[in-house]
Amino acid sequence: MFFHNFKYSLKTLFRNKMLIFWTFAFPIILGTLFNMAFQDIEKNEKLDLIDIAIIDNDYLKNNPLFQETFQVLGEENGEEQLFRIQYVEEAEARELLSKNEITGYLVLEGINHPKVVVNHNGINETVFQSVVEEIIDIQEILKNVSGKWIQDNIPDLTQDINSGIENFDSWYTVIYQDIMKMLDEENIRIQDTSSDHLSYTMIEYYTLIAMTCLYGGILGMSAINQCLANMSSNGKRVSVSPISKGKLILSSALASYVTQLFGLLLLFLYTILVIHVDYGTNLPLVILLSLVGTLSGLSLGVLIASVIKSNENTKVGIMISFTMLGCVLSGMMGITMKYVVDKNIPIVNKLNPVNMITDGFYSLYYYDTFHRYYFNVISLLAFSFLLIGISAFCLRRQKYDSI
Amino acid sequence: MKNVVEVKKLTKEYKELKAVNDLSFEVKEGEILGLLGPNGSGKSTTINCILSLLNFSEGSIKIFGQEMEPDAYKLKEKIGVVFQDVAVFEELTVIENIDYFCGLYIQDKGLRKRYVEDAIQLVGLEEFKKFYPKQLSGGLLRRLNIACGVAHKPKLIILDEPTVAVDPQSRNNILDGIKTLRDQGTTIIYTTHYMEEVEILCDRVIILDRGQIIASGTIDELKKLAKLEEKVTVEVMELDSKYIKEIGEFKNVEDVTYHEGILLITYKKGKNNLVELMDYLKNAKIQYNKIFSERPTLNDVFLELTGKELRD
Amino acid sequence: MTVFKTFLKVLKSCKGTIILYSAILIFFAVFNTTSGDNTTNFVAEKPDVFIINQGEREGITKNLIQYFEENANIIDIKNEENAIRDALFYRDINYIIYIPENFREDFLDHKNPTIEVKSTGDYMASLADMMLERYLKLANIYHETFASEEEIIENLNKTLSEKLEVEVTSKLDTDHLTQIANYYNFANYSLLAGCVFVICMVLFSFGRDVVRKRTIISSMNYKKYNRKLLLSNGLFAVSLWAFYVLVSFFLFGSSLFTIHTIFYLINSLIFTFCALSIAFLIGNLVHNREAINGIVNVVALGSSFLCGAFVPTEYLPDFVLKIAHVLPSYWYINTNERLKTMEVFNFENLKPIFLNMGVVILFILLFVVMMNFISGKMRKTNS
Repeated sequence: MFFHNFKYSLKTLFRNKMLIFWTFAFPIILGTLFNMAFQDIEKNEKLDLIDIAIIDNDYLKNNPLFQETFQVLGEENGEEQLFRIQYVEEAEARELLSKNEITGYLVLEGINHPKVVVNHNGINETVFQSVVEEIIDIQEILKNVSGKWIQDNIPDLTQDINSGIENFDSWYTVIYQDIMKMLDEENIRIQDTSSDHLSYTMIEYYTLIAMTCLYGGILGMSAINQCLANMSSNGKRVSVSPISKGKLILSSALASYVTQLFGLLLLFLYTILVIHVDYGTNLPLVILLSLVGTLSGLSLGVLIASVIKSNENTKVGIMISFTMLGCVLSGMMGITMKYVVDKNIPIVNKLNPVNMITDGFYSLYYYDTFHRYYFNVISLLAFSFLLIGISAFCLRRQKYDSI
Repeated sequence: MKNVVEVKKLTKEYKELKAVNDLSFEVKEGEILGLLGPNGSGKSTTINCILSLLNFSEGSIKIFGQEMEPDAYKLKEKIGVVFQDVAVFEELTVIENIDYFCGLYIQDKGLRKRYVEDAIQLVGLEEFKKFYPKQLSGGLLRRLNIACGVAHKPKLIILDEPTVAVDPQSRNNILDGIKTLRDQGTTIIYTTHYMEEVEILCDRVIILDRGQIIASGTIDELKKLAKLEEKVTVEVMELDSKYIKEIGEFKNVEDVTYHEGILLITYKKGKNNLVELMDYLKNAKIQYNKIFSERPTLNDVFLELTGKELRD
Repeated sequence: MTVFKTFLKVLKSCKGTIILYSAILIFFAVFNTTSGDNTTNFVAEKPDVFIINQGEREGITKNLIQYFEENANIIDIKNEENAIRDALFYRDINYIIYIPENFREDFLDHKNPTIEVKSTGDYMASLADMMLERYLKLANIYHETFASEEEIIENLNKTLSEKLEVEVTSKLDTDHLTQIANYYNFANYSLLAGCVFVICMVLFSFGRDVVRKRTIISSMNYKKYNRKLLLSNGLFAVSLWAFYVLVSFFLFGSSLFTIHTIFYLINSLIFTFCALSIAFLIGNLVHNREAINGIVNVVALGSSFLCGAFVPTEYLPDFVLKIAHVLPSYWYINTNERLKTMEVFNFENLKPIFLNMGVVILFILLFVVMMNFISGKMRKTNS
């Protein structure tokens, strides 16, 4: 009996081509679009060449430090190229700036008075600024270190001014070279221990998986509507047959569960093989999470189908609304959303099944321990069983006031 | 004979409206009971209450001597239902649909296969086994609908207006099918608002209006209620009012009307009324195109009892 | 009139979904205006740094922390492994500096201690990285020359405090304009999803076979019938737009009283009509309730992602933007983006904006023509 209904439910679902196409295809289409939109976003976080201008005046010509530094940083295809530099008059630089063709320009307004002009605050502006500041640093270092030298050598200087100056000159050359060498050398020790798994766009794909899991509820809903006397004439016919409603709904729900898992499998294969989404290394746990996640979607569909006494439009609407809201909160339309909600109103996302799934994948990808993962899996199971319990309670011996 | 269905003092209210009001009747084993009434008279509501799909405020329903409940599965096994709306899966073929619904009752595969074939034969869908419902005409779809409801060979079959909007050929097929089922010993409840069908099929009829029984009995019993025996219709181009008066004074005549060339005479009882009338017309040299006599119908009964037509 | 009445009836059954799409938009806008998050909003120039000092806050260590306090945003989060990990992943912090226990002593002993860091590897992180490198290099250099810790710190701070004069030319309140532009960009999703969902549901209900047959044989001809439906749906779409505009005034208040706003409004109104025509076209093509869900998601989410409604356009790869040209959302969002940085409203500057609007209008015409063609054709094949 159970298998009989299961077999036919499966047949009915798979022959509804529109339904199958859209439930299977749309996450794949969305995944492709995500991939198109995001493939550069993290690469782009590394610096591009910045367009700047430098005002070509006498102060610049007399300042070898600035001249040489920017020559190196602006050398076409040079190893250290950071800028694309135009040497122009100030009026022209202003014109370029107003057209947004350059990030900003540098003008030396005195021997030791550089100025940077930019349109607004921003990354490129800040990079430009800090390069100029670094050159100023070098000037400062030279000033301070040579000041110290003079101080230390004052007795010599008073004895013989000429030789002192001579000494200073040769010493200055040495110290200049020393300092430049020190600056060039990577003698400082900074150890970067960041995880490799920092690609936050992964969250987008996780929300996509979560969304697909939850939308499985729509399949469950339409399968169950076929068993309910107040939703369809088929439901009336099924209701008068000698089968317990629990058995019937269970097997219909199982059929839509299997169908949805099939769709999810396609999505997994696509995201892994074609767009290379990283689900971490623990495949059995990924599968477990998908099974549990799909179950939560199914239970939501069952709950809406059985508890809410309204037409199908409204039921579908509620299902979509709930899922989309869950997706937004777990970061589909901007990953920061998930973080802000997690941090400030954690209870919301602890109750949000989309986030439980997303967070489960996230913790598999990014965490080394499994506490957080299992917490999510258990939450999902609790969520599912609670909903199924409520539905079962509502459906028990159900008669209607009107059909 | 045993009572298969016993309905006692059934009352069902929708907010203000009493859809079924203090209804009591029983259905005897092996008979076809007709539930007749205009749209909205409470036929489908009664059926849904019997099937325990609807809550009802008062009364009790027993089937095969047992209280009917949503989880009275043993009881449900013996019942087959054909609803007003076509209830089949668009995604399944004719044979799959029948097999699906039959499978909810019959577990044994071999037996089920035979039953499905029988059902197909019963409604004459042999040529359409592999068709999808979309490809079937309205009449064929109705036949499929019936096959789905009765394939498991139930002891009690409830048919709720199975012939609404069906072409004559399919209708005959359906009615023949129902007769076959009756001959096999099945008890049948049949609701409709077509009295011809009731007259052909039913052993006993209950006439419902506004949720109440206004008459019940065998067809002959009911027809007596109509207080008339014969209706004669004559098409006459012109007729002087003096003739109308004279005809009105004939023996057994209840009423005479003449309207737009149609002369309608109703007789309380009697035989050979037509011969007498024809003789009179011949003697009075009245030219007429057509003359015919009718026995009273259930519509006349209904008209007599409620003052309105059954068909709206 | 009957068309309109039926329309309202169907609309009522979709009200939950309409409320949802609006709620998402408003939620997003509030979220975007109140939290200075940095993934959608890259104008902040200071990196967010979290410092874990395992030693004492004294001498060179104290000075290092002070330097970051002055030049970066020190983020205050719970010093918990999970909280820190999450913060780093979601770019709440760009850079974590672990100052080892014996940093100060080892530094003064010329042991050149190692500092452990965690970084998100993005722009902001590399800024923080540059700052740390700069500090440590200077400290090392001065340590070569000066013996005492005080002298080192004094010289270090003198050098670090040497400020560069920076002139910022723009007078625009870019923060606010960015928020407004983001709001209207996001409305791309809400308008599209809302219109397509509702209108498909409406047409689905109207298009059910029986109803369709009845309307085909009714005295109304199908063009007039389509027009009436279009009018009802148009009314709905415009109300939705008006509501979003109202919300934007509520959210952004007085900062909307600029000439920019007029263009934002015109632009979004035109786009609303475009969403309407898209919805109508889809509604005429598809008659399956379960499928609507998938279609809404592909159309609304898809074009929002591809055209930069969620992700700023400058982060989209070039070829995606080229593909996006075939979608009306691209032109709509492009206008919003241009307005964001527009200072002078003259013909020269506005030309591309008018061009964008023109393209969107062309899209509307195209969709309307396609719709009439399709619904005419379907009517014939179905009858």
